[in-house]
Amino acid sequence: MKPAAFDYHRPSTVADAVGLLATIPDAKPIAGGQSLMPMLNMRLAQPAALVDLGAIESLSFIRRDNGELVVGATTTQRTLERSPEAAALPLIGAVIRHIGHPTIRNRGTVGGSIAHADPAAELPVLALALDAQLQIEGAGGSRTVPADAFFRGFLTTAVDDGELLIEVRFTVPPTGTGFGFQELARRHGDFALASVLSLVTLRDDGTVSSARIVVGGAGPAPVRVTAAEQQLLGQAPSAEVIAGAAAAVGPALQPVADVHASADYRRQVASVLTRRTLQAAVTQLKEHAL
Amino acid sequence: MAVEDAPAPAPATGLIGARVGRIEDARLLTGRSQFMDDLQVSRLAEAAVLRSPLAHAEIKRIDVSAAKAMPGVIDVLTGAELAPHVEPQPVIYQLLPDQRPTGALAMAVDRVRWVGQIVAAVLADDRYLAEDALQAIEVEYEPLPVVANLDAALEEGGTRLYDDWPDNIVGKVAYANGDAERAIADAAVVVSERLSLGRMLGCPLEPRGCIATWDPYTDELDIWMSTQSPHLARDLLGETLRLPGHKIRVRVPDVGGGFGNKFDFYGEEVIASVLSRRSGRSVKLLEDRLESFVATSQSRDEVIDATLALDQDGTIVALKASVYGTLGGAMGTVGVGPPWLTTTMLTSVYKIPNVAVDLTAVVTNRAPLGSFRGWGQPEANFAIERLVQLAARKLGIDSAQLRRRNFPAPEEFPFVTGVVFAYDSGRYEECLDLCLDGVREQGWHERISEARAEGRSVGLGLSFHVEATAFGPSRILNLVGLQHSGFDEEVVRIDSTGRVTVFTGQAAMGQGIETALAQVAAQTLGIDLDDVTVVSGDTTNCPYTGYGTGASRGAAMGGATLMKAAEVLREKVKRIGAHQLEAAAEDIEIRAGRVFVRGSEQHAVTLAEIGDAAYRRLNGKFPEDEDPTLEERFVFDPENLAWSYGCTAAMVEVDRETGFTTVLGYLVAHDCGTVINPTIVDGQLHGGAAQGIGEALFEELVYNDEGQLTTGTFMDYAIPTFMEIPRFDLRHMSTPAPHIPGGMKGMGEAGTIGAPAAIAGAIDDALSDLGVTVNRVPATPARLLELMQEAQR
Repeated sequence: MKPAAFDYHRPSTVADAVGLLATIPDAKPIAGGQSLMPMLNMRLAQPAALVDLGAIESLSFIRRDNGELVVGATTTQRTLERSPEAAALPLIGAVIRHIGHPTIRNRGTVGGSIAHADPAAELPVLALALDAQLQIEGAGGSRTVPADAFFRGFLTTAVDDGELLIEVRFTVPPTGTGFGFQELARRHGDFALASVLSLVTLRDDGTVSSARIVVGGAGPAPVRVTAAEQQLLGQAPSAEVIAGAAAAVGPALQPVADVHASADYRRQVASVLTRRTLQAAVTQLKEHAL
Repeated sequence: MAVEDAPAPAPATGLIGARVGRIEDARLLTGRSQFMDDLQVSRLAEAAVLRSPLAHAEIKRIDVSAAKAMPGVIDVLTGAELAPHVEPQPVIYQLLPDQRPTGALAMAVDRVRWVGQIVAAVLADDRYLAEDALQAIEVEYEPLPVVANLDAALEEGGTRLYDDWPDNIVGKVAYANGDAERAIADAAVVVSERLSLGRMLGCPLEPRGCIATWDPYTDELDIWMSTQSPHLARDLLGETLRLPGHKIRVRVPDVGGGFGNKFDFYGEEVIASVLSRRSGRSVKLLEDRLESFVATSQSRDEVIDATLALDQDGTIVALKASVYGTLGGAMGTVGVGPPWLTTTMLTSVYKIPNVAVDLTAVVTNRAPLGSFRGWGQPEANFAIERLVQLAARKLGIDSAQLRRRNFPAPEEFPFVTGVVFAYDSGRYEECLDLCLDGVREQGWHERISEARAEGRSVGLGLSFHVEATAFGPSRILNLVGLQHSGFDEEVVRIDSTGRVTVFTGQAAMGQGIETALAQVAAQTLGIDLDDVTVVSGDTTNCPYTGYGTGASRGAAMGGATLMKAAEVLREKVKRIGAHQLEAAAEDIEIRAGRVFVRGSEQHAVTLAEIGDAAYRRLNGKFPEDEDPTLEERFVFDPENLAWSYGCTAAMVEVDRETGFTTVLGYLVAHDCGTVINPTIVDGQLHGGAAQGIGEALFEELVYNDEGQLTTGTFMDYAIPTFMEIPRFDLRHMSTPAPHIPGGMKGMGEAGTIGAPAAIAGAIDDALSDLGVTVNRVPATPARLLELMQEAQR
């Protein structure tokens, strides 16, 4: 488990990093290294060069920008988890705490996890649920891609070779929104067999004005199940309504089977988690109302 | 193996039985320990091995020319080059009549039989360069059909691993007592089940490794190994490399966990030795984590078809069982040992008048099977305890009552099981009650009732186990088929300053053997614990122990033997003390390093003065008829194993919608005879139980139909973390082994043995309305959900 030889660069600006990625054939960016380092050590990846983003200070920040939470790509997951901005938005911490263990979150970055796009990872689910805008920079300039166009398949995103994800703009949900996040993993910190993040916004009359149901780990990329969301809109979220929406989630998924669970198992538990997270979201709103 | 004239055990007082802190912990906890990769050796080069990516294939061609030309490469070795210089890897258990040898060498020559089998090795200036060169080795394989599992191995006319065998069966053996068939036919109640246990790995935190130095002038091999059995390793290195014993020195640095995996003898140490001989360099060959999943002994992987027959009142009348051991592509060091022990321990703690058990062991295209904590016993316990539970359910009686009805009474010991073994001592019913009382005290019954009232699925499971320890009587083991011994030899020395050094053949691997032996020496010699040093891990300077440090024998065998050696030495000290104090030796006492005449402790000579007289200033202080120095050795070969036992209770909650099981409570009542250090015993039980919970719920090496391991990293091979492990509750009782000096029994494997059946029973109980039977472990969420859905169909 020793990596093959590679060249190593540590630029201090995004422009330099993008320049290196554009000019060096087969160069890979590395941030926290929580996914790439094992692949290097197992020689599953043997890039000619690594471009370490760790010295680019401008990529590590968290700020509230009107209705958005803006996070620089190399901000560590732990930094975000413990930030005042996350404290004001409990949803963030509730999701991030399921990423591996503290030692992993100490090094793992927000942008790294989203750009790596492991279907079982938590931050892509969060990005999709919060309509994140993802800013990508390359030699050809800068562009912004919405989350629903960003995740394109298994470990595949809108970031092209030579480009970098540099900033994530999460949309802060309106007040009156409750959330529930649950993840099933063999052990605490493992990749999810399935995870569900549900957001529910209620009108004053108690009916649902908006809903988000995003499933992780049950397909090649995180899946937003709009068919299930639709069932909630305009309804008072009774147990029956929630059960109906949850039942629509499983059949909408195309999970893959692996050694831990079959596709059917993932469909079933995705529906279970949806029901539980919707219920949690609604309960949260009711408790706040009290 | 009956025991007669049982000697009175030593009382558990003073240092023996004391919760003293572990001597090795300061070193281990402050990072001052020296594991294999910490060692500094001169002229060092590093090796790496190329492993087969295919489960079954012929090797048509290996081209190492490009690898040899790589920068920093010193040597490249193939199986064909190795073959003339080595004997096959030894298999020390020959337990089956006409057992077929698999004859594997340390490296494959013309055919690979499992993913991970070594096909070539590179020696280079460092490991990075060695791994670079591995990529440059070209191997042309001709794939063969794969025998992926037990069914494929048993298939009539199916693919064979060994062309000169008629099938894939290594051998069979059957044991019978009474007439099981007839008793089953006549019985009031019969329960049958097919029980399966998945493949496991012990996963020591430090993988295996060695550093071999071959002296080109003297042909001496000096090898550092991360092993539990240095003397066995020395003898097996001698056999494979055709070297006499005095030319081999095996040394053991700190070992980062063994769990039985490091008892076995592997090809890497042979390859490193040969590379050192060829190159003149010291050769470090470490197994990395990724390799360990296919290169370190795997375990369990058994299927047991079992039938238990009982009278209407719950008296067991017969047991009939067929055990299938799914071995790998070649036999490991311990051959069919673990499934054989399963077969012979199926009767467990019960009086069963009619028994018919048999074993069929097969080879498959999986990695070789070998030693791991439990060693066939968790499998046997899972089978018999599941059947007991099912029988209780069918009879409508409490399973604890059923167990109670079938235990041998304390006065019935030695208890002859009817299949090979006789248990030395036991108070099983008291141990069962100790466990049940604990469960009651902890309020489990109330917790379960409350949880159920809330609609939660919470249940309680029980298992009773017996554990073979203090391995074991050499001649009997030889008769059974072990090509090795089981005695122990210990050396104890008082030096010229009156301080004590113990030389042991037992190996330290983090289990606390240094502390345990120091406690025995200090108590027996009447000195402070701080005045004892324990030296282990060197075949040249430490005495021989049979077997190694495995089979739960370290503290029991090492402790008993050391106690005897120290007693002999104590008598010599008393004679010297008597000489100096002008008294009779029988009136002398030793306490806290002071030697005095009983009743006049103020007129003492110190052990330091005795030591000085024995080594330096003899004249006038040392008896004329004594030889100088203070050093004794003792050899102890026990007449029987010592049989520990325990009762495990587990409380679990099952999520009916996801199949997830959470262990809410875990209690073990246990008896391992005289306890040397309760802290160490507690730790052993905790660690074993954690691995047992892994076995019951989490851990499995899953092979697919191509013989590829699909759970080959810690991402997929799910060892439970402390987040998945409950707080353990332990209860102890002590029934000293009548035939072991000191009365100690081992307990290193106990935790793993009782767990699967207890947890399976708890799951059944939590889902009792569904009538579910957990007959396969690990009971993963997906499997359990399927089981529930089948039950509801």
